[in-house]
Amino acid sequence: MKQETYRLGCDIGGTFTDFVLVNNKTGEFHTNKCLTTPSDPSDAIEQGIRELTEILPGFVDNVEEIIHGTTLVINAIIERKGARTALITTKGFKDVLELGREKRYDAYDIFSEYPEPIIPRPDRFEVDERVTFDGRIFKDVDEQEVTALIERCKKDGMKSIAVCLINSYENPVNERKIKEIIEREAPDLPISSSFEVLPEIKEYERTCTTAVNAYVKPITYWYLNKLVNRLGTIGFGGKLFIMLSSGGITSVETAKNFPVRIIESGPTAAVIASQYYGKMFNIKDMFCFDMGGTTAKSCLIQDGHAGLVSTFEVGRVQRFQKGSGLPIQVPVVDLMEIGAGGGSIAKVNRMGLLQVGPESSGADPGPAAYCQGGDNPTVTDADLVLGYLDPDFFLGGTMKLDIELSKKTIQKKVADPLGTTMVEAAFGIHDLINETMAAAAKTHIAEKGGNPNLVTVTAFGGAGPVHTYGLAKKIGATTILVPPLAGVGSALGFFTAPVAFDMSRSHRKVLEDADFNEIETLFSTLEKEAAQILEGARSGDEIIFERTLLMRFVGQGAEIDLGIEGKDFQQFSTKDIRIMFDEEYKRLYGRTAAESPVEFVTFKVRASLPKKPFVISRLSTKKRDLQACIKGQRPAFSVIKKDYLPFTVYDRSKLFPDARFYGPAIIEERESTIVIGEDAAVRVDDFGFIWINIAQSGGPDQEGGPKND
Amino acid sequence: MTNNKRRFDPITLEILWKRLVSIVDESDASVIRTAFSSLLRDAHDYTCMFTDSRGQEMVQGTLCTPGMAGAMALGMKKIVTSIPMEDYRDGDVFIVNDPWLLAGHLNDVCVWSPIFFKEKPVAFTACIFHHTDIGGRTASDNRDVYAEGLYIPLTKLYDAGKLNRDLVNMIRWNVRTPKEFDGDIRSQVAANHVCSQKITEMMEDEGLDTLDDLADEIFYRTEKSMRSSIENIADGSYSHEGIVEGAGDKPDIPIKLTVTVDGSRIHVDFDGTSRQVDWGVNVVYNFTYAYVFMAIKSGFDPGVPINEGAIRPITMSAPEGSIVNCKYPAAVAARMVVGHFMTEMVFKALAQAAPDNIIAGSGGTPAQTNIFHGSFANGKPWHTMIIRGGGMGASSRFDGHHCAIFPANGANTPIEILESDTSMIIESRGLVQDSGGPGRQRGGIGRQMIIRLPDDGENSPGTMSIAVQAGRYIYPPAGIFGGRDGSLAQFLKNGKTADPSGLTFCDPGDQISFVSAGGGGYGDPFERDPEAVERDVQYGYVSIERAKEDYGVIIEPDTLTLDLTATLKFRENK
Repeated sequence: MKQETYRLGCDIGGTFTDFVLVNNKTGEFHTNKCLTTPSDPSDAIEQGIRELTEILPGFVDNVEEIIHGTTLVINAIIERKGARTALITTKGFKDVLELGREKRYDAYDIFSEYPEPIIPRPDRFEVDERVTFDGRIFKDVDEQEVTALIERCKKDGMKSIAVCLINSYENPVNERKIKEIIEREAPDLPISSSFEVLPEIKEYERTCTTAVNAYVKPITYWYLNKLVNRLGTIGFGGKLFIMLSSGGITSVETAKNFPVRIIESGPTAAVIASQYYGKMFNIKDMFCFDMGGTTAKSCLIQDGHAGLVSTFEVGRVQRFQKGSGLPIQVPVVDLMEIGAGGGSIAKVNRMGLLQVGPESSGADPGPAAYCQGGDNPTVTDADLVLGYLDPDFFLGGTMKLDIELSKKTIQKKVADPLGTTMVEAAFGIHDLINETMAAAAKTHIAEKGGNPNLVTVTAFGGAGPVHTYGLAKKIGATTILVPPLAGVGSALGFFTAPVAFDMSRSHRKVLEDADFNEIETLFSTLEKEAAQILEGARSGDEIIFERTLLMRFVGQGAEIDLGIEGKDFQQFSTKDIRIMFDEEYKRLYGRTAAESPVEFVTFKVRASLPKKPFVISRLSTKKRDLQACIKGQRPAFSVIKKDYLPFTVYDRSKLFPDARFYGPAIIEERESTIVIGEDAAVRVDDFGFIWINIAQSGGPDQEGGPKND
Repeated sequence: MTNNKRRFDPITLEILWKRLVSIVDESDASVIRTAFSSLLRDAHDYTCMFTDSRGQEMVQGTLCTPGMAGAMALGMKKIVTSIPMEDYRDGDVFIVNDPWLLAGHLNDVCVWSPIFFKEKPVAFTACIFHHTDIGGRTASDNRDVYAEGLYIPLTKLYDAGKLNRDLVNMIRWNVRTPKEFDGDIRSQVAANHVCSQKITEMMEDEGLDTLDDLADEIFYRTEKSMRSSIENIADGSYSHEGIVEGAGDKPDIPIKLTVTVDGSRIHVDFDGTSRQVDWGVNVVYNFTYAYVFMAIKSGFDPGVPINEGAIRPITMSAPEGSIVNCKYPAAVAARMVVGHFMTEMVFKALAQAAPDNIIAGSGGTPAQTNIFHGSFANGKPWHTMIIRGGGMGASSRFDGHHCAIFPANGANTPIEILESDTSMIIESRGLVQDSGGPGRQRGGIGRQMIIRLPDDGENSPGTMSIAVQAGRYIYPPAGIFGGRDGSLAQFLKNGKTADPSGLTFCDPGDQISFVSAGGGGYGDPFERDPEAVERDVQYGYVSIERAKEDYGVIIEPDTLTLDLTATLKFRENK
């Protein structure tokens, strides 16, 4: 009989490194958490795995895959701990990186600060070459000039080189030539070329992305090599995969070459888990809501697909202020992150109004209730006062909370200045943070063309399940889903991620003039290239390709995505494509202009391997006694009555398939607490997912959520 | 009505206010995805806002352009109330570019609509886009507004949902870029549509029948915040006399203003300011007000969302027919050339009273704007517009930011977009050494952009015209409190100074250089931290010679490191 095999998901976060081990056959989970070790994150990984062997001796030998997400890259950028990097660019343009887009991100603030370029001015060099916008070589690369420059870089102690020339996205010949010279003259220096990192128009965004890639390449290289070795020494003989910001997973080799693609490695996992659940339950629009201590991350998932965007920002000088960071243009799951978490601080601002966040009390001193000297009221303090959290069952009772400290600070810092009661103030804090998240959620959903009323809200993170009910009501959603292990849901998400890589090529062509044969060639070339990248991770499986067209009206600057079914592009007619475009445009913006010409801009291919089967084990059906699941009752604040009501408290670990009950209820588990108002009905499915249905009007409706089958 | 006025507790108020801000930001975001011209989608030269039923501004987009936004706060009130409430129909969409009603030149086209809820208008949504072309002659030396393009008085674009096709057609035949114009107008209608839909949804959700009570509460709070900021300034009358340079052979333009701070209110009076002139730099009242307001808001009370309440404590008077309150039919196309100076002039007047709330002169004042018109080798015409920033003035806390468009806002157009939209080749775009005004805090660095129309024999493009709406060619951005001036701007054709007032024509092979000015310094440069100067030299912002001359800092030429002993000695003997 074949031995038990396992997969291990391992997610390095800011404070904790999370582990989820799954038994491939039984679907049984083991979890572990240990403190992150910032100076060498592989320390925590080895330690966490060793701890797991105490429960399951010898399992390491039978681990087939380790899937890994890390904040190493993003931290190196934020803390500016990357390598000294040289930038080589076209004569006349070494300041592209410093000028940026010249926009003042806060129009009315004359004292705004801006991020320093990732490569300082003395380390940026120009070479006398030029390619025109249509790809003609205007001036060749001078070998001698480049050779001399590389000598200088070596002498100056550069540890990495970025090459980004003007118009290289259209023709990379000169850039390639420079790369060859570097490879010859300085074989040990890692190179990042813009035509490989980001072959797309707009020099600032491309240069910045390439420069960041170069900046973190050495540290990523060092870390991944070390990790592979350490895992080897403790007996791991399987494959190591790294989570990409785009939601796929990739080989160590690719991650080393394109570290800029793993920046959002961590936060993406919850989205990937939601995608899986979205498909599993066939949910049209799902809103993934992951609320932790400092930030809330969310994402709209349509038909089991999270949106991908091609740009995001890192290292914002003003937290959460758009435009104050460095733009990175690689495929990333379209996450929205705002400064709203359990640690968000409440205060009364100059206008005499309540303000919650974006500042956070962090882990130290943390909320007032942590008794670590924090004297600012936080969302967690409010949640405690409102009865949503149990002071004796925080993190399963391993951490005691002091409700009196919470009350005192809310009274002093919010209620007194506002002239309200302490409870009104506490509810104000809870309600306002929900409103802040709801406003952001609505903007995000609307931008993706969704309707907030129709989404199923899926809760993750320590604070997510506490606030989901309030959030859902504010955005007008009626269905909530709380998956198993919601508190560590992101590490679980790794198992549902496909091995995948995205490739794209820009090629503008008006629809009427396009040669569909040529487009087919373009698509199949991309597929071939992507397949090569997946080769190392593949063991005989067939590669799945998904094609996407990015199109727009001729004259516009932004495109809409059209997913293309089928293999051969020549099977489509011009009219087919036009109909697809108009329908999608109308869905997004209300009306289309059928007489206005449209064009292709970019062609995208996602290559992926079939997902490994991932089974969530069914709940035991032995005990079907709802009374036995009840831990007791406690007063908690009703959003509807605006007063305390007795809430029934359930123990999640005892719930059974098809258990049904109504709010007001609180369901407690080790990592989080689910709050349910009196207008909602609860149902547990066969796999332990909790479905909550909020009544639109009148009594609660228990028929929501999919049927068990 | 006043008897049963709805009250809002502070918590509910904050929640609803947030939601309103996010609604406008949502319509703002839709523009980037739907607009056609690069001036909108890359350079963000547009503003979205909405008013209550009385035309009072409730919220403006976070990413607005202050000139448009400030002018709309005044203008929309007048426009909205000029039509009897009972005459509005659901589905009405209006279009207007009257410079005197709104943002001061014809390119700024406003599209607005009543928002209907329960069959009556409860609010108005509006957006102004800077259209790349509005016909007419694009230079800044036209003598009157008739030459500057198409004038669209307040007109219905849609009548109860029905498109006025004749109007659209008429406009299309009067602009150089009909497709862009059409697409951008559609984008304006869509932005207003997003705003209307979300506001009615909110009213439904919250059980509101009117927004006016909520508006009053928001205005009250904002006004209070603005007034308490003004109270921090010592009472008194603060005057300043400044000059805005004339372009080419045009005479300089004297500006005189007195800022009177009286408790919690500020009044700015322009008595003694130049009469309006016979070229395109005349400013309408609204636009002048916008940049006077910008100074008070940005220096004293940033952070609070802007609405009717913020403008109430700030009043302004300007003689009719003066350059800051010009009369029809004055030429106004390049009104930013004078208008953008209003922020700086107010800062200068208040400098002694509030030295920590102001900045020195900025190279991005005025915004450096260029309009190009040319044709490809195959004869097909192209038309584009760019905005360039300059070094920002230093403050008591910070060095000036390099290359910012201040006090306006916007962004540059990427080189690769510019090259693929036109027949120009861009030879360089970079920072200019020694351009930042020396000071304890250094002025921001200015930049140079060199453009060539390629000479490619038979495949050469056609002749190109350039219109310039800019300045700082004669008077540099001034330093303050002992800080020195930033460098001058330059406009060169083939290495020789060209005339920024009219149209400049280029043939294949010609090279154009635009240099924008550096910002003014703040405080005595000899008090600047020598290590900051060392870094400035290493970064190439300041030359070794000027480090010594301007800052008294001695840098070793071989290692580019600071010689502190020599520096202290040198500074002592100066």
